Amino acid sequence: MKTITVKYGVDEITKQVEADFTFGDLQGSDTFKAALGFGDNTKALVDGIEQNRDTVIPANATVRIETAANTKA
Amino acid sequence: MEKTEIILQTDGSFVERLVSERTLNVGQGVLDTLTENVTRPIRNVFHIPDWGFVHANAGLNDTLWSVPIGRIPLHARFKLVNQVMVPMFASGTDIEIPLVWKVPTEVKVVFAVLTKQEDGIVSVEGNWLFACDVDKRGYRLPLPNLHDDCRICTGAFDGDQETAFECVKASLEQFGKSKWNADLMRTSEQSKQFFRFKPTKDSFETLPIQSDNWTMLCEKVGSALIERVIV
Repeated sequence: MKTITVKYGVDEITKQVEADFTFGDLQGSDTFKAALGFGDNTKALVDGIEQNRDTVIPANATVRIETAANTKA
Repeated sequence: MEKTEIILQTDGSFVERLVSERTLNVGQGVLDTLTENVTRPIRNVFHIPDWGFVHANAGLNDTLWSVPIGRIPLHARFKLVNQVMVPMFASGTDIEIPLVWKVPTEVKVVFAVLTKQEDGIVSVEGNWLFACDVDKRGYRLPLPNLHDDCRICTGAFDGDQETAFECVKASLEQFGKSKWNADLMRTSEQSKQFFRFKPTKDSFETLPIQSDNWTMLCEKVGSALIERVIV
């Protein structure tokens, strides 16, 4: 297990997750979505740098979730 | 300047350390790199007639202009449902009326304009429409023509101007006259609960939002840009 902090807008949550928990797992997590209110179209950033969904989140990392810009439907 | 320090270490040994100090002639480029992500909020930079005061969040490469607005012009199609006019953005047959929705006090709506300056020209990089609650959480209003990050699908207009004032003014003029259609529409039921009008003898009166918690009719939004918005 490891601890991560996730921020979305002015809200944030610190939670323990599995050691192999990835940025993609976070972006798809119903638990984090419900707690912070983000949707399906997001990007994950660490220190302002967008992260790959397959990358494992480092322990004690602070991840900022942002609403991604979509293209015109 | 140079100085020598003698250090007694915990194992009993002595270490000599020579410290050399000199003032670096830091160039503007280094300062710019160090302050690349630093932005500075400035309130009440200028006033746009009919809209109000405009606040700035100035960064190294761009400036985000925030205009807290008290109304949203809704040039769209509407339908009378149970004596209440509600928007029918996807309709091709309902009556088209330019109604103006008055923003209720519990909602803070901010029209934002991002500008960049290059070669003496100030350019509009985009327009956004954010709704904020009292804690400055950002929300996407249940409107069409808004991307997920609240960027407005404005249609084409001249966004290259001589001053930022003209950029914001041109953006607001475009916002004021644009028609709302079904592009990017996903939330028609929420729109009907949010934007409601009562026909009166002479015009249309904005009705309260049909929900105890207006944020439930919107989508929460988080982005670097909204954090620069000044409500």
